[in-house]
Amino acid sequence: MKMKIVFNISLMALAVAGLDCAQAQTLDTTTFVVMGEGLAAGMANFGLSSVVQNQSFPSRMAASMNTGFNQPLIEPPGIGDVVGYPGQEVEMQKYPQGSVRQFYYPTDKTKAPIQTPPLFVLNTSVPGLTLNDSISMRPVAPVVQKNMKQTVFNMLLGFPQLILNNVPLWTQFEYAKSMFPTMALIELGYYEALDAAVSGDPTRMPDPAAFGATYGTVVAGLRGLQAQVIATTIPNPIDTAYFNSVQAASTIVQTVPFVLTAGYHLTPQDYVTRNGLLEISTQFTNGAIGALPAGSTLSAATAADITNRVNALNAQIISVAKTNGAVVYDLNAFMHKVKVSGVSTGTGTVTGDYFGGFYSMDGIYPGGTGHALIANDILSFLNSTYHQNFPPVDVKSIATTDPAIQYLKPTGHLFTASALGISGSQE
Amino acid sequence: MTNQPSNHFQSSSHLPFLKGPFRPCLLYASLLLGAAGLCYGSAFSVSELGARAAGMGTAFIATADDGSAIFYNPAGIAFQPGMHMQMDSTVIVGEFRFTPSSTPPGQVVPANGYSQSIKPHFIPLASLYATAQISKKMTVGFGAFTPFGLSANSTNFNDGDPNLTKFVGRFAGTRVRLESYWFQPTLAYKLKDNLAIAIGPAFVHTHLELEQSILNPLGQDDGLKFGRTAAPTVFPGVPVNQAALIIARLLPEGRSRIAGTANAPAISAGLLWKNDRTKTNIGLMYRSSVVSHLSGRASFAFGDQPYPLEQYVGPNFLPNAFPNQAITGSFATPATYGIGFSNSKFFKTNFSVDVRLQDYSKFKTVPLNFSINEDTVGLTNIGLPAEKILTFDFRESWDIAVGAERPLNDKTTVRVGYLFDGSPVPEKSVGPLFPDSTRQSFTLGGTRKVGEKELTFFYEAMKFMDRQTNVAANNYQWTNGDYHNFAHVAGLSLRFDVTGLIGKKH
Repeated sequence: MKMKIVFNISLMALAVAGLDCAQAQTLDTTTFVVMGEGLAAGMANFGLSSVVQNQSFPSRMAASMNTGFNQPLIEPPGIGDVVGYPGQEVEMQKYPQGSVRQFYYPTDKTKAPIQTPPLFVLNTSVPGLTLNDSISMRPVAPVVQKNMKQTVFNMLLGFPQLILNNVPLWTQFEYAKSMFPTMALIELGYYEALDAAVSGDPTRMPDPAAFGATYGTVVAGLRGLQAQVIATTIPNPIDTAYFNSVQAASTIVQTVPFVLTAGYHLTPQDYVTRNGLLEISTQFTNGAIGALPAGSTLSAATAADITNRVNALNAQIISVAKTNGAVVYDLNAFMHKVKVSGVSTGTGTVTGDYFGGFYSMDGIYPGGTGHALIANDILSFLNSTYHQNFPPVDVKSIATTDPAIQYLKPTGHLFTASALGISGSQE
Repeated sequence: MTNQPSNHFQSSSHLPFLKGPFRPCLLYASLLLGAAGLCYGSAFSVSELGARAAGMGTAFIATADDGSAIFYNPAGIAFQPGMHMQMDSTVIVGEFRFTPSSTPPGQVVPANGYSQSIKPHFIPLASLYATAQISKKMTVGFGAFTPFGLSANSTNFNDGDPNLTKFVGRFAGTRVRLESYWFQPTLAYKLKDNLAIAIGPAFVHTHLELEQSILNPLGQDDGLKFGRTAAPTVFPGVPVNQAALIIARLLPEGRSRIAGTANAPAISAGLLWKNDRTKTNIGLMYRSSVVSHLSGRASFAFGDQPYPLEQYVGPNFLPNAFPNQAITGSFATPATYGIGFSNSKFFKTNFSVDVRLQDYSKFKTVPLNFSINEDTVGLTNIGLPAEKILTFDFRESWDIAVGAERPLNDKTTVRVGYLFDGSPVPEKSVGPLFPDSTRQSFTLGGTRKVGEKELTFFYEAMKFMDRQTNVAANNYQWTNGDYHNFAHVAGLSLRFDVTGLIGKKH
């Protein structure tokens, strides 16, 4: 099955490469607008906060391209629901959060911070946003709602608009268009794939034709402003650290694959989720194997179904981009490369495994080094597509201070089958 | 309903002075005033104001033997016995093409570059001359003509079109019209039988109109200025210059139109000496510079499309910043100095050469003064300075014209000519207002006499030398590039000898 996945991705990479060659165009980075969900927003470590927002790949790209770029920065510890966990109740902010939206602090520490948020932001990405949300969801007063997603949307794209009179309350798509971008990057569709994969229900994925039609509306709208549009393919959630092969999972929980396959009735091709790793580790520590809660594993068949559906959506993205004169960056291929072979940081290699250094603790969204690596791959793509010379991000320097690199990998004795009361042959 | 002529025309036809040979001339004069179109001469000079002269490459200072002498060399009318009326009409078809060397990323440029042809495609130009010998030594004349004019139109777009499909150089100008009408009574006096001088005080009415786009998001004009001011509020923390570029794009593109008129005095003078033995003529001419003090209006428009900042700054922000208002300004046309030689001793042919200097160095700037500006007491957020100076820095230009005319018989004469016309426009000022370059023209023409009338025609093929500009200061005006221009000029002249009708020969 894995061969098939690789084959599909290779085909897509070829299609994207062919598209790129046909689309050598000029790039104006004056107004760089990003439409995305949690990945482009800088969601990481169980929340959206300025800690990773400032390291997000769009932010790194803008710095390299030497263009103005601002984001709706959120005070740590952040906001937003985490994929794979039940939604949280919205609470009013409390210490250490003050204003939730982080105001601008001048580099000169002797100057007082500007106590107003920026009027507009250029990173319009909102964690949890689907493609359909991007054209329909808009800020709703009051700013704080019972619904977390709406509250996050309000905080990011409705502030300060919700406290001003007679100003438009834009959808993400309207917001992006209103900024008259010269260059727009679209990172949408990932949340739909994550949601389906994490819930183990491929049918939650959108219909490709409908997805393509909506995506076409977005791309055409931006192209209508003469913006250069970079559409990113949807990463396959199965390539994230949220989903671990039995082999990888056994390393993380300090056992051998047989313990997992025999103890939890898995095949070697199945996956153990982030939540599953935590539950299994708890059971191992307690010395007792038991039933895993729902969402702890993902069957190989379901993973394959998810992969196929992601590929179908990516085919739509490529088609729509070609129709509308946008270029396609194959983010899916890059994430797959991270998962399969890892990527060098200059001092070592990060992988897509849990604790592999690329992803943050949530296993879904990258940490600072992961974002820097994505930024560099996109910058390289832009340099070749648009004949630019944007300098790469200094990944080596970022990696030295990135907590995701510093995560301590499990060490010590292995949990054996006999110690856990599992009988049978490992052969 | 019947198709009746208007009462106005019915009543006019009863006016006694509109009868006889004067009537078409006066109607023609009204046409001149009402529909004079303009062409590109040297920068904005017009040389083709007489069909006979134009057929000889405009080498006419020393010949000056028809009514257009009032323009080419007023002293020439001293040697024209009797009374004559002359009407000249010229049509110009310009093929102007600009291909920018650089554009904003994503700019849509037509395959063959931008056309700067005016619409309608044919530019009519009319002149009227009358001369009357009132004694053996003295002749009077009157001319109404347009020695300076300009018409260029690069408006290939509607305001609501996507910006990157509009004419790329629109922030430097999209449309210009200049008409400088001269009404010149002339008095010529024979000092000797072969030497005459003339002077022609003139009343000059000038009309100037300029259109351009404003709030260039990439240029150093109001859009970026506003962006720098608003940057700390709109995008705190973003470097001011980067934020200004983003904010400037959130403003709508505006359009400005400035139009004004002026009346001013001017003067022409000439000298013509003839040597009958050698059949050689030498002529001198002078036409003064005119400084027109314009008064008119400045109008600004920002379209009816909503723009992102509108609901934050208010719908009246830009109309208040750029209020429609009365303006004043000044505009100078160059003085012209000319010398001409002609000889008709050989081959039964009149050979003629002119050298003319146009003092375009007087055309350095066009200052425009706004009555409502940023210094106006009690008003804030006005985006206009008290004075805006359009700088052109033209230089002197030289023309050299060579022509010949040969009678084939008593009734028919043919002509050929060549004109080298140096451009006064420096590279930095080449753009949609002045897509100019040095040009070379080849002309031909002829005259046929029918009774007391002469019918003259000419054709001129005017090749503008290809011009490529690369001026750093114009980078964000997007006017650097290749200019390929050509013009077809043709004209007709009708000259009447009306001596037998209302006068007598001395």
